[in-house]
Amino acid sequence: MSIESFNRLVKLAARAFYDDITTKGDNQPKSGRSDNRGIAVVILDALTRRQWVREEDLAKDLKLHTKQLRRTLRFFEEEKLITRDHRKEGAKGAKVYNSAVAATVDGLQNGKEGDDKIKMHTHSYCCLDYAQIYDVVRYRLHRMKKKLRDELDNKNTVQEYICPNCAKRYTALDALRLVSTEDEYFHCESCNGELVAESDKLASQGSTDGDDNDRRRRREKLEDMLHRVEAQLKPLMDQLARVKDLPAPEFGSLQAWEVRANAVARGANGDNANDSKSGQGLGFGGTPMPFVGETKVEVAFSGLEEKGDIKSEVSVTPMKVLPPWMIKEGMNLTKEQRGEVKQESNMEGPSAAAGSSDDKKSIGFEDVKNIQDEYIKAYYEALFKRQKEQEEATKMLPETSTTDGVYNTFTERQVGMKSKREEEDEGEDVEWEEAPPAGNTTTGNLKVDLNVQADASEDDNDEEDDIDWEEG
Amino acid sequence: MFFHIVLERNMQLHPRHFGRDLREKLVSKLMKDVEGTCSGRHGFIVAITGIESVGKGLIRDGTGFVTFPVKYQCVVFRPFKGEILEAVVTMVNKMGFFAEAGPVQIFVSNHLIPDDMEFQSGDVPNYTTSDGSVKIQKESEVRLKIIGTRVDATEIFCIGTIKDDFLGVISDPGTNA
Repeated sequence: MSIESFNRLVKLAARAFYDDITTKGDNQPKSGRSDNRGIAVVILDALTRRQWVREEDLAKDLKLHTKQLRRTLRFFEEEKLITRDHRKEGAKGAKVYNSAVAATVDGLQNGKEGDDKIKMHTHSYCCLDYAQIYDVVRYRLHRMKKKLRDELDNKNTVQEYICPNCAKRYTALDALRLVSTEDEYFHCESCNGELVAESDKLASQGSTDGDDNDRRRRREKLEDMLHRVEAQLKPLMDQLARVKDLPAPEFGSLQAWEVRANAVARGANGDNANDSKSGQGLGFGGTPMPFVGETKVEVAFSGLEEKGDIKSEVSVTPMKVLPPWMIKEGMNLTKEQRGEVKQESNMEGPSAAAGSSDDKKSIGFEDVKNIQDEYIKAYYEALFKRQKEQEEATKMLPETSTTDGVYNTFTERQVGMKSKREEEDEGEDVEWEEAPPAGNTTTGNLKVDLNVQADASEDDNDEEDDIDWEEG
Repeated sequence: MFFHIVLERNMQLHPRHFGRDLREKLVSKLMKDVEGTCSGRHGFIVAITGIESVGKGLIRDGTGFVTFPVKYQCVVFRPFKGEILEAVVTMVNKMGFFAEAGPVQIFVSNHLIPDDMEFQSGDVPNYTTSDGSVKIQKESEVRLKIIGTRVDATEIFCIGTIKDDFLGVISDPGTNA
């Protein structure tokens, strides 16, 4: 659910800092045509709408030349905004990726089958690194403010000296070499001219005599600059504060992401056309899985167990922010666990392929599960017992007591039934909520998050307008 | 900051020292050689506190000198950016003043001296507040903060500031003597 906020953060940061980035070298003349400032913002915006994306595809979507896109992406990589992955792959690898894309972005399913003829090529993929972006932006803001503040109270700045004759520059670190024996000034090493202190770079003005007036003017200028920084970057800082406690969306490495996205797609959409092929590509064991669509129905069946699952899920999440697909796999595991033999092969596939970390997680998950299962079993038994008692009571009562009594017990039983049905409903609810977030949501407490998100997105829209105004 | 570390050095010893007190000779030569030197990596070697080990000597062809690899413990002093030091003023001029903290030379430029202190030239150049209550001159002791270091292979030079809370003169030369 945090992805919206993070995307907004990315967009704000892009407009604040990467607005005037041009990929052309400085030596080339900037004619109207070659001026590509603003492309960086477009690319970052496009990336917020995607997860891992192949750079060729991105270039095609943005109608950009791949070279230009690459240059910008490399710049972003250096800025630590995105992670990239390069790998050699043939048609198969491309397909795994394609199916993963299809799983996450519904609209992008078209016409990828034509890529079958691709020989082994090196493909580059890129993806926003949200956690790192958060840190990068924060660090950048911190440095900006620190620099201004230091400059403001002359702290931690290394004084520079300049020779008026030969324009040679020195810093205070050279002081020992510059001090002369005959007078109290510093002297240039090469021409023995008298050095003058250079006033600060940020607010350097004509005179360098450093009198009081000059100093005051410089101070005012710096203060003004600091205020403007605070004012203009306020939306960004607000967004940073908002995002602070949210878990950053995490897509993992390209490989892991593909595996997970495919797994999620299988879990959510039932059998996908690409699935069996992708299974071969990654060595899933090649089992086609036509049954997964059914699982939903069967799970909704056992309302009580479902409830237990949710509890365990909630208790797991606080320990560590789990990427949603992990939880999903875990859920599959627990749902399909005992008694459903045909799913067995299915659940082995994703967890085995998704690497050791997943395995560990599912083990920890199992422990919690066991305890809860026992609790559920006990609860079930108690419930069952009670229902039996009630049934017997209803059988006996007509003979022994008044109609009033019959009525009472009957309603009581109804209540029991009803509650059970409610639980079933709950199970179904959860299923529904689970299915749509294809990859980029954190599942924790789903319902609450959904509400919050609705509010937040409203806010977002409002503020987006604000910013547009400021920029315009 | 001071560190107690183990360093290694190859000592060349003249054949005339070979004898009963070869080891003492080696140690005293080591002390003479390294104490007071400065390496950019470790800082100033202040004192040798002990010998860890003396390796096998290797006789040089032709000269008869023997090279011993010696491992020794020593106290080193390495100034860091942001560190607070107490130093003695050695020279005051219009551009600022120089001070020494042990082996380290520190320069405090005049814009890192509080604004209310003015340079007074004359017989004893100094920086004085307008009311004359605080005076920085030669032999004054000041507490300063290092804001920059230049570390060369064989020397370390620092620049400092006294324009911060609790920095500045801590004792006048008169009272100290």
